[in-house]
Amino acid sequence: MTEPRFEYGVSLYSYTGEYGVTMTLDDCVEDVADLGATGLEILGEAHVQDYPNPPAAWIDAWFARLERYGLTPTCYGSWVDTRRFGGRPMTVDEAVWQLETDIRLAATLGFRFVRPKLGVVTSDLEPDPVWEPATERVLDLAAEKGIVICPEIHWPSVIRSKVVDDYLAFIERTGTEHFGLLMDTGVFQTRMHHRRGGVASRLGEGSARPPEVPVVPVSDLEDVLDHVVHVQAKFYEIDDDLRDQYIPWAEFLEIILRRGWSGYLSSEYEGDYGVGRAADQLRRQHALIRRLVTPA
Amino acid sequence: MIQTRGFRNRAAGDGFEVRLRLPYYRGLWTNLIEGATITVDGERFAADDIGWSIGGVRYSPAELRASETARWPVDVPAILAVPRPRPLSIGFHTVAAELRLRMSYIPEELQPTVWSEERRLVITR
Repeated sequence: MTEPRFEYGVSLYSYTGEYGVTMTLDDCVEDVADLGATGLEILGEAHVQDYPNPPAAWIDAWFARLERYGLTPTCYGSWVDTRRFGGRPMTVDEAVWQLETDIRLAATLGFRFVRPKLGVVTSDLEPDPVWEPATERVLDLAAEKGIVICPEIHWPSVIRSKVVDDYLAFIERTGTEHFGLLMDTGVFQTRMHHRRGGVASRLGEGSARPPEVPVVPVSDLEDVLDHVVHVQAKFYEIDDDLRDQYIPWAEFLEIILRRGWSGYLSSEYEGDYGVGRAADQLRRQHALIRRLVTPA
Repeated sequence: MIQTRGFRNRAAGDGFEVRLRLPYYRGLWTNLIEGATITVDGERFAADDIGWSIGGVRYSPAELRASETARWPVDVPAILAVPRPRPLSIGFHTVAAELRLRMSYIPEELQPTVWSEERRLVITR
């Protein structure tokens, strides 16, 4: 196999259930560095104190921590909550405000990528049409701040879809270098994982159920890889034999190595809750990936 | 979600308080909160009758939904003030909470997201 050009990262999303309960922000960041990753991904609304206006002392502590642990900020997760305003849709101005707020904050904290999670308007997850004019209006700010905006392709969305075609058409039309795709490897899951533990939740009051999602062949990644700027290496469970029964890592890695893809594989653990589980599972995943890319 | 700390009768004798930590993984603009119902020993209290306090600021459920700037951070449990003509007796109570949050990135027919939990809590005063 070719020498990898990608780097290893971790998203603090992985520590959901532990962050603020059994682990502080400092504990999580130390854990990321300890397991050998160099890239750090966060969620603005989860991990930044007093979001969207963190105190100066918090920002100082943020940079001191990055230096202490030798970590590089990668992607900053944000949301465009289009259903915030009761019965009416979000206006373009409101969406611009949200995007600008997160781009500025992400840049202040040293991030290069901003992932806006967009509100949807259809059962098959087409984003609210506000995304396009709003994103277009913040491209200059993104350029000024050195940020690439990258909405995610995330299960149950699939790669061959109108959503992805629209994103690619946007890049083509605007010619921007400040918009790309974030690939979440959960898209390639070969079977469903049902997360155990945590507070019980259900979707909706009625009998509506999520649609069945076809298995997406990893080869579909070839079509869009040139536009993928960041990977959320989503996983659910690595077993005691260091195998993943859900995500086909060997096939995925074969493609990104052969294509010489560079960027961060930012691990996102989304398996069962349990004290100490995230830290252990992240190490298992990194060991699995490192074994696959390092011939014995 | 339901916290051991903060479960108490209100000094004014007009009800009791329950503390809820946001069970979701990120903080939210409060206009994404549809409300929370509380049930104690089978006695159910409607979401719109329950007062909220987040970080020392008090809101009615309607005010939470109307605000365009207020937030409920992950690390700041909300204090819910539940009106009740008589205080709860000292000792064990079965407390259930159902919290409704509106997620924009999930198809509308699968919303709101409803979080539910039941715990046996001790009230000391």
